[in-house]
Amino acid sequence: MEDTLMIVIAIGVAVVLMIVVPFMSMADRTDDVVQLTLETALSDFVTTVSTKGEITQDDYSKLVEKISATGNAYDIAVEIQFLDENPGKKTSQVQSTKIGENTYVAIYESQFLEQLDKNGKITLKEGDIVTAGIEKESKSLADILHDVFLGASDNSSYIAVDSKMVTTNGAS
Amino acid sequence: MKIQSLAVIFIIIILPISIIVSEYIQGQMQTLRLQISYDSKLDDATYDAIKAFQLNTVNSSSSNYADSKLRDIEASVNTFFNLIATNFNMAGYNKDVLKDYVPALVYTMYDGFYIYSPYTNTLDEETSSQITPGTDTDIKYSDGIRVTGLKPYIYYSCRYTTAAIDVVITYSLDNYVTIQGTVNGNAVNKEGYVLDNLTATKDASGNITSITYRGQTISENEPLQQERVGNAIYKYIKINGVKYYQDIDGSWFSLFNGTKLKQDSMGNLTTDNSAYRLYEEAVELRDFIIGNGLNDLTPNDAVIPGDSRNIEDDNGNIVYSFTGEEKIFDYNTTGRSIEDSNSNFNQHRLAVIRYVIERNLSIAIANYNNYSTGIMTNFQMPRLKEEEWDSLLSNISMISFLQGLNIGGKVYNGYSVVNNNKNEEVVTEESIYIVTNDNYYHRITDTNLVADGSNIIGGVLNIDLERKQIIDTDIGNYNDANGSIRYYYPKNYLACYNCIVGQGSINNIGDAKSISQYVQNTGNATLANVYYTTLARERYSMYKVSRDSITFKNSFKVNH
Repeated sequence: MEDTLMIVIAIGVAVVLMIVVPFMSMADRTDDVVQLTLETALSDFVTTVSTKGEITQDDYSKLVEKISATGNAYDIAVEIQFLDENPGKKTSQVQSTKIGENTYVAIYESQFLEQLDKNGKITLKEGDIVTAGIEKESKSLADILHDVFLGASDNSSYIAVDSKMVTTNGAS
Repeated sequence: MKIQSLAVIFIIIILPISIIVSEYIQGQMQTLRLQISYDSKLDDATYDAIKAFQLNTVNSSSSNYADSKLRDIEASVNTFFNLIATNFNMAGYNKDVLKDYVPALVYTMYDGFYIYSPYTNTLDEETSSQITPGTDTDIKYSDGIRVTGLKPYIYYSCRYTTAAIDVVITYSLDNYVTIQGTVNGNAVNKEGYVLDNLTATKDASGNITSITYRGQTISENEPLQQERVGNAIYKYIKINGVKYYQDIDGSWFSLFNGTKLKQDSMGNLTTDNSAYRLYEEAVELRDFIIGNGLNDLTPNDAVIPGDSRNIEDDNGNIVYSFTGEEKIFDYNTTGRSIEDSNSNFNQHRLAVIRYVIERNLSIAIANYNNYSTGIMTNFQMPRLKEEEWDSLLSNISMISFLQGLNIGGKVYNGYSVVNNNKNEEVVTEESIYIVTNDNYYHRITDTNLVADGSNIIGGVLNIDLERKQIIDTDIGNYNDANGSIRYYYPKNYLACYNCIVGQGSINNIGDAKSISQYVQNTGNATLANVYYTTLARERYSMYKVSRDSITFKNSFKVNH
């Protein structure tokens, strides 16, 4: 009887060691690769926008494509802060586009997509700020395994964020 | 005991250990990942902040003046916080929280630097009495209140005392110095570039009649330069940082943030002698230094506290000591020029700049401990690496610090140094391009420029190739009644594919200790003359705070 119990425990431990642990480890590493892919894709997108001075439908589609290729569901949040040309200070040396002094007018995801669909591109100018973030919508395999075996997973909503100032005026 | 039992016991012991070790390593990796991510966010924000400063100053014709420059720097600071908040916001930090983790921002300028950090506002009794209690001003700026802002400009200056001399020398990012104080009890105030390789011919009364620099005769009457404003090309002269354009009817105007400003008192300037004046001033400065015994000053004469006479690198090795007895102004040293990067003067100049920045910054960051609220971090200035100092001392730069954020296994302590090489502040040897008759501009070290100088038509400063904007409706042939912003390129040349776009045809300066020496070594007289003249003209026409704008401007009219 004692032998049987030990064998059952040994088999249980063996299963955990030989199947669950490697499986969790592999899923974690896959998540790491996905994270890197998402960060790279996001950084490429923001850098392109910052140096070109415009967001095109093509650039945005490429971002969506790269992110979708990871196999999980994500929500992309893009925010654009337009540098307001109303002078921020009343002075004789007023310059209509003083970066850092004038206020910003921001548009968020829904307005961004609406404008992009309507015009095919959004033209930006020097000093505008573009921010993009990727939020998890579904749980990855690693999250599910963590939930099941450890009872907790990383629930942080944004897994990659990048932001840059636009350094050139886009072609109108 | 059976083998199964031993196996289970072994696993019961090993499994928790391996899980804990695995979690620990995972935590360390997460900390490292966060650190890299924070470094990257800090670098991005710093880069964008200095870029904002560049864009604001290049497009502002008043950015040379102190109050306008302060505005440009404050705007850059806002950009930094805006960007860093945007980058961190989604990770749970907002702008106000992050401000508490930034002990200081530093903007190194041409002859000094600004520190943005908290300080205690101190008002005299008279000013305090003028503030109405309870008002916004009272809440924000009353006596003794904590204010975060730009501290007064700190010059790269050092005091030297000997039995006969008591002077303060202000250095800059190039060879320009200002000497103020007393020599043998007489007040002195002299400024100029520290250059040798100069030969001046003087008449009987001691006036300079001609100057050669590195074997090239510098023309006193260079033709006025030309550039676009809008669609039209105008002749212009740049005096103390302001470009004055000659209109079609012969009158003069300048640009004030994109609009036309008439200049009624310019007279009839036909030539530009800025380059000649720079060398003339350098000859006079050399004569002054040698004539007054200032060339005997040594680092040991510098008034510096005893405990900080050594400058150390990040490994604790001494890189410079203010105890040496070598002469700082080492004019006429055999086999070496005072302009060389390894001259006593240049070594000492860089050491003074580094000492002044390091000392003031350490104090600002250490003092931040008194101002930070609720953050259990001992703010300390990190030791910058040698290559970061090289970058800081070569052009205007920004240093940002971010400390005290919890990144899991440790507390984040990061900084970022970003250099800017296109600005109105400094004219470096690298910022002059050579223009050829095919309308292309080239790097001075382009291999194709060495052999033949016949196609060289002039030199150009890099920021004149940047896009500018005008608003006015009656300049540059624009007849736009709406007064909308128009963009144009002042110097409309194309970038050489081999030396600007690619780097395929660039010479190494080899044994030369400076680009000026490299140019001399090429043996191409046209190239050398154009380069020395352009570099001197652009340097002399920069804004210098020590010059009285009106007197200085009028002196050009007198000379023509």
